[in-house]
Amino acid sequence: MAARPIDPAALPSSGWRLAPDPASEAQGLIVSGFGDWPTGRALFLEFGWQPGTSPPPWLAELLRLAPVTNASGGQDRSVALAFSYTGLARMGLTDEALASFSRPFREGMFQEDRLRRLGDRRISATDPVDQSPWLETVIADGPIWSGNTRVADPTAPLPTGNSLRIAAAEKPEKLILTPLTVHALVLLYEKTEAAADGWAATVEAALGEHKVTVVHRLPLFLAVEEADKAKNISREHFGFADGLSQPIPFDDQGAVILKDGSIVVPDGVHGVPLGEFVIGYNNGHHEKAPGPIVPLGAETKTAGLVPHDRAEGFADFGRNGSYMVVRQLRQDVAAFWDSMQASADKVRAGDPTATHVTADWLAERVIGRSVDGHLLCQKGTLGIGPDGMPANDFLFRGSDPHGAGCPLGSHVRRANPRDSLAPDPTMGPTLLAAANNHRILRRGRKYGSKFVEAAADGDEDRGLLFMCLNTDIERQFEFVQHTWLLNANFHTLYDETDPLLGPKGPMTIREMPLRRIVDVATFIKMVGGEYFFLPSLPAIDYLARL
Amino acid sequence: MRQTSLSVPLDVKPDSYATLARLIDEIRHDPKQPGSDQPDRYERITALVPALHFMSISVFPGHDYDPIFILEANFDGDDGVFWGQMEAAFGEALRDMLRCCKKPLDGDGLLFDAVTAVGSRAAVIPYFERRVQRPSAFHHGNRGLSRECIIGDRDVFLAVRAELASRETDPAQTYRALHPEQIHARLRAAMLPRFAWLAEAAPVRVSRWETALDWVRLLLFVAAIVGTLLLPGLVIASLTSSGLTVLLPPFIIAGIGVWVWLLRRALPGMDIPATLTSSTAIKLLAAVLAGAALLTAVLPFAIIAVYFGSHLLIAYSPWLAGHVGDVAVPAYREALRPAAVAVLVALTLAALLILAIRFVEQRESWQDDPPQSERMLRNIVRREDWIAQNHMGSLVLIKPGVLRSLIIRLGHRGLVLYKRTDPGGYLGSMRTVHFAHWAFLNNNSRLIFLSNFDQSWGSYLDDFIEKASIGLTLAWGSGIGFPPARFLVLDGATHGRMFKNWALASRTVSRFWYSAYRDLTVDQIERNWRIACGLRRPSMQREEAQAWLLDL
Repeated sequence: MAARPIDPAALPSSGWRLAPDPASEAQGLIVSGFGDWPTGRALFLEFGWQPGTSPPPWLAELLRLAPVTNASGGQDRSVALAFSYTGLARMGLTDEALASFSRPFREGMFQEDRLRRLGDRRISATDPVDQSPWLETVIADGPIWSGNTRVADPTAPLPTGNSLRIAAAEKPEKLILTPLTVHALVLLYEKTEAAADGWAATVEAALGEHKVTVVHRLPLFLAVEEADKAKNISREHFGFADGLSQPIPFDDQGAVILKDGSIVVPDGVHGVPLGEFVIGYNNGHHEKAPGPIVPLGAETKTAGLVPHDRAEGFADFGRNGSYMVVRQLRQDVAAFWDSMQASADKVRAGDPTATHVTADWLAERVIGRSVDGHLLCQKGTLGIGPDGMPANDFLFRGSDPHGAGCPLGSHVRRANPRDSLAPDPTMGPTLLAAANNHRILRRGRKYGSKFVEAAADGDEDRGLLFMCLNTDIERQFEFVQHTWLLNANFHTLYDETDPLLGPKGPMTIREMPLRRIVDVATFIKMVGGEYFFLPSLPAIDYLARL
Repeated sequence: MRQTSLSVPLDVKPDSYATLARLIDEIRHDPKQPGSDQPDRYERITALVPALHFMSISVFPGHDYDPIFILEANFDGDDGVFWGQMEAAFGEALRDMLRCCKKPLDGDGLLFDAVTAVGSRAAVIPYFERRVQRPSAFHHGNRGLSRECIIGDRDVFLAVRAELASRETDPAQTYRALHPEQIHARLRAAMLPRFAWLAEAAPVRVSRWETALDWVRLLLFVAAIVGTLLLPGLVIASLTSSGLTVLLPPFIIAGIGVWVWLLRRALPGMDIPATLTSSTAIKLLAAVLAGAALLTAVLPFAIIAVYFGSHLLIAYSPWLAGHVGDVAVPAYREALRPAAVAVLVALTLAALLILAIRFVEQRESWQDDPPQSERMLRNIVRREDWIAQNHMGSLVLIKPGVLRSLIIRLGHRGLVLYKRTDPGGYLGSMRTVHFAHWAFLNNNSRLIFLSNFDQSWGSYLDDFIEKASIGLTLAWGSGIGFPPARFLVLDGATHGRMFKNWALASRTVSRFWYSAYRDLTVDQIERNWRIACGLRRPSMQREEAQAWLLDL
């Protein structure tokens, strides 16, 4: 596998950028994972002033110390800023404005029914009382942080008794709160640890002056190993190449361009309308991705918010912004490899001829790619793509319909089945187009130190701060989580979920003449999470003026 | 085996709405008493109504009518047996619910009184049978598989998995060392003692008789529509022999064609690109012209047959038998002119219809953001996504007008018939729908849609949007507020967000819902069926055994 030099202009997967106009307004995180800054800090903020009172000038102070990066590039270091629903409410947005955000954002990730669909929490009439409602894919005693959104109970009595009232005898909805409340998330990206530490400390101290507390903090890493630089990959904690497959946005109005200024043409496999990731542009449902609004006024004009094209009297608060899903996922590296070893031992004990079944072999099937990120094929793995990274423009239906190479239930196939779910080859293009209506733009980073195999390294907190951008949380992030990853019947499998993210359970691996079903344990646990809004720079400016 | 889908709509006394909702909830809640040997409500239904696949009971509150109670049932075989089982399982519960409903003004009023009278012991079910509403269109995902068969196949599937797993730990016992056909033979031997029915032939899912009947129905449907369109031309041809009857229609058709072409575009900003390409349009046009030419060539035979048939009946002439050839050729030539007129006029009428549809479509209003009760929505959502399947009920008003009435009726009928003869049809490409049906309510002023499907409601609607928008727009596009469509099938449901909003606002809480096989998806049922069918075979060749093993 010879490494080739990277020519960014030839990069279909990472060469796209926004046209100058949107680029100056959108946050840089939309177009980049800030790979030039190998380290960073995530600061989770709680606002300390009373609800209903006007906020102290913390945001102006933050923008002075850490100006939010736009999508034009060329900065010395980078910053991203996002708000939870409770954060925006505390900032003083009007009820009208708050109601214009999308439902999942308004309800928060920890609404009872959302948590059930996301595979985090489940309680039913038949469960024994002493059983924890949190599932095994969540840390013991439940998550520690969220936006702590308070949704009205649907079973509360209505003020007036009309004949359409919902009958009683309903269990009231449980309000699910976490110890820490997160109103905003600041992401600082830097070149060195020392610089990042100093910067984070400065920001934290300055915000403290304005009743803003950093309630939770995570060090973020890219940590590309020397040996991997030639391979153009970075690895997550289990040791697998990560972040290889991303959608490639395009826009029929010309908002997505290449370095030379030419307009990006839709990619045959990964092409997705820009409106799936940025509010205000055409999306997969053939309309401008809807976003929030704020009343027109002097502040909206000064901040540079444009009037909304459908809501008269309101400014477009959402344009060039996005919704960001954040989940802190703790990874137990030792447990992962122990589980793989135990399963491999079990297989070989029953079948001494299965010498190929090792912990590595199983782990690669759990992921669906080799440790260096190459797709598993019926014979060997897929090579290097035109961009010098592991090839990613493959489809499944034609070359591997039964999962003989990349298992049907593997993580990469569940996370993006491409054309795999087509019942027959002629339906391939339809199913690929359908799958691309559910893509997310991943911007996650790992946190915690690199795992070193040693007895002392038992409990260190490390994992992935999963972050992704999408404009329709239900149709994109939640769909991927519920209908693909955690769907027990995905691809006509039976009673098994994503082997990486799901609870303990079986996984089918296709072999001839007979498939193997191996047991996979749980080694990823959710520590906290929330749906955030990633405002455009004019929208941030507007918030700073409230 | 044949399956039946039906619903029973009953108008509800608004003052009794809350009580009715509580009564339905009680069926659902009826908990198993701790320490009791009594089966819970779901187990009892499974035992008492063995024909049942899916059932729901819900109430739609309405702003246009008083609330309406809907009992939906999908079961094996015909009504009689099913209703008998229902009387035993639900009789008294249904009587209490019926008391919350309005007495009908038609002839069923007396029966209603008899059933709901204080202390009445009259059977309840006859009243429900009287009020049954048949579907206008329906879809059965695993057509022809009885509940007994589906559950039997699942048991085999689980037993095969357990058998394979139990041998996996012992190198001497493993199936892995065998060739595919040997694995099949050994599995069959292992399963036969437990499932003696594997020795019998597989039940016929769709009989030849039923398939033939489906085709006959489809042909009759097409013949009826074509015949209706031809009739005016035949009448004209019999009244006048003027050359204008042949010369004029092509010009009219061309004129209408240009007009329709000018009206083809969607409203600004409502256009879904590339759903009707010019190549598709040309293909469509070519097919219509070829069909018309064929019809013109064949129609004279029909005219002759009718003409001579009627004459022969009046006065049978033995002379005719010897001179058929002398008569037939000139007769065909003679009949060609009325045939051509009939076809041309039919095409003119069809073009006029399309123009009228476009006119209507351009003048219809739609609902971009229908009002949605937050409370209703949350109560819907909290009952969803507990198992592999979900349920939805939706009730919408139908657009007024003769044209819309015709379209929705012919559209639904055509969809069902087309679907029955084509296994890969409009909902089939989704493969997530167990039982779904549409039915007209309230003197055909409202349309109800009831569906039992796999995965979440959102993913189900996405399937509609991404894979079946044409059939869906045809079937649902006559609902008031539906996103704007073109030519009945384009755009419409592809306005994903608008369509979802519209569908969501039309829903109600699925208060009581029963599934006979909660862990099985449509695809899994087919997989189990293929495995069982393989095990029914005494032996297999290596290649086919290898293909069969892919399902295990």
